[in-house]
Amino acid sequence: MHKLRDASGEAEAGLRAELESIAGQGRVYVLGLGYLDKADDGAGVLVAHALKKLFPSYSYSEHDGVEGTVLDISEKKEDATVFFVDAADLGEAPGTIRVVRKDEINDREITTHRVAVALMAAILERAGKRCGVICVQPGTVAFRAEVSGPVKEAIERLTVVLSHLMRIRD
Amino acid sequence: MSRELNVEALARVEGDGGITVTLDGKKVKSVTLDVHEGPRLIEQLVKGMTPADDLNVVPRICAICTLSHRYAALRGLEKALGITPPEKTQLTRELMMLGENVESNSLHTFLLALPDFLGYPSAIAMLNDYGDDVKRALRLKKFGNHVMEVTSGRIVHGENPIIGGFGKYPSRKQLDEIRVKAQELVPDAVRDVELFASLEYPAYSEAPMVFMSVNAPKKKYGFAGDTILISNGKEVSCEDYKKLTNERVVPHSFAKRSLYGDKTFTVGANARMINMGKRLEGQAGDMFKEHYNDRWLKNPLYNNLAQAIEMLWSLEHLPDACEVVASLDDPKIEQPTRLTGSGTGAVEAPRGTLYHHYEIKDGLIDVADIITPTAQNLDDIELHMKLAAERMLAEGKSDPEVRLGLEMVARAYDPCISCATHLVRLKRV
Repeated sequence: MHKLRDASGEAEAGLRAELESIAGQGRVYVLGLGYLDKADDGAGVLVAHALKKLFPSYSYSEHDGVEGTVLDISEKKEDATVFFVDAADLGEAPGTIRVVRKDEINDREITTHRVAVALMAAILERAGKRCGVICVQPGTVAFRAEVSGPVKEAIERLTVVLSHLMRIRD
Repeated sequence: MSRELNVEALARVEGDGGITVTLDGKKVKSVTLDVHEGPRLIEQLVKGMTPADDLNVVPRICAICTLSHRYAALRGLEKALGITPPEKTQLTRELMMLGENVESNSLHTFLLALPDFLGYPSAIAMLNDYGDDVKRALRLKKFGNHVMEVTSGRIVHGENPIIGGFGKYPSRKQLDEIRVKAQELVPDAVRDVELFASLEYPAYSEAPMVFMSVNAPKKKYGFAGDTILISNGKEVSCEDYKKLTNERVVPHSFAKRSLYGDKTFTVGANARMINMGKRLEGQAGDMFKEHYNDRWLKNPLYNNLAQAIEMLWSLEHLPDACEVVASLDDPKIEQPTRLTGSGTGAVEAPRGTLYHHYEIKDGLIDVADIITPTAQNLDDIELHMKLAAERMLAEGKSDPEVRLGLEMVARAYDPCISCATHLVRLKRV
């Protein structure tokens, strides 16, 4: 399990290594979850939107339809890994990033979209795909509030790390 | 000796709620559905906004029934502003509601309700034995999402339906694609009805019920109307919604409660079927006739079968609806004929009747009142859970069996707790 709070190069390298260890050699997809109207809850969607500019066919958000996207990827005949990105109450400082493996996401408290993510991951794994969940600790989920500073930084870091991984697996 | 039997976090419903059963020896003193989700004060938030801004805010009450909220708001706001939407606008709105119905009913029936009946803790656990059924549900949900996206502009919180019309109407090509896909999915929906008709519906919670739904115009089945049908034979204008709902606050819940007179009542797919089921056509009509029985009138669990039949009706109805919409020219956006007025919109969200009432003064929202289906159902849920608890305990059922029985009753109503907590006025003494 990985935590990333400070912007040190060592921590980012650790996150990159952990994501690479989950991903196979095939395509990497990102599926961002969350609710943009509730500030930091939309972190996953914001990461997906940023990556969509670089990888329009491999980055999806809740706005593209979670179940349909997962169904489509599960039916593709290719080696693939799907990283879900979601805000989750980890009980840590805002902006903390934690990578969770599939066998840990049955925990009901791990993510605000817990049932959906666990089910989607199970469907993908049955189809031979790899999965991971990247959680971001929110600072505020107030309705229509601004995304907090630490979560903005976390979104930027995740975008950099994931875009690197998507590029080398493309 | 008194004790409590709790379901602390009610799983497989939208939002944060729990169930508390208080027992005195073997006697059930009370059963409460506790709503923990915090209030969001939406009605106060929109006060002073323009109707167009209101329309951007109120659908955010819920990401599942977002288009129902938008449609109810549109109907209320347009009445208040003296707007009569053109035929193509009305029909395209019906189309978006059909999409939302398929999307929501497929999710609830298969992924939230079905595991209980088949003895699984969740849809994930069902995957090994019912993988094809789960994927079929996801295909239906994906299609419902697609219809919502084409009509409203986005899968969630689409802003294409606007006051007086649509920003952009679906193209002929998009409508043709929906028509073909809907026809392809009908056999899947038939299979779903057969599955839900084959389930055993426990009788523990049975008691006579009162059902309310809109009365769709032209004696058709549908999801919007200006009058409310009650299963006691009465029909009331939706402008008199307060007489039907009589909202009040209770200590154990952040959601308000409703009573019809002194009686609890039910809204949802079962209410629509009981009030308008004879109007269903096609295979949905045939299957309703085949599977309807008197237990529908007293057992909330039949809402699951009602949702499956309704999803079939939506898929069968979509091709014709697409044809009619495609045949009409795009109308211009209708403008307000007045800036001061009031109006109530009543629509059928997948989980029941949804009211949006507005009073507009000099072009700005003066009063907004939103009554959600789950807020109307909460007292009814508690009544039927209490009956189930009493009867199951009298039969010597174990605590886990009772917990599951109560969760099945609560889940059958397809509650959306997030919707139900949009407003509670807090009183400090």
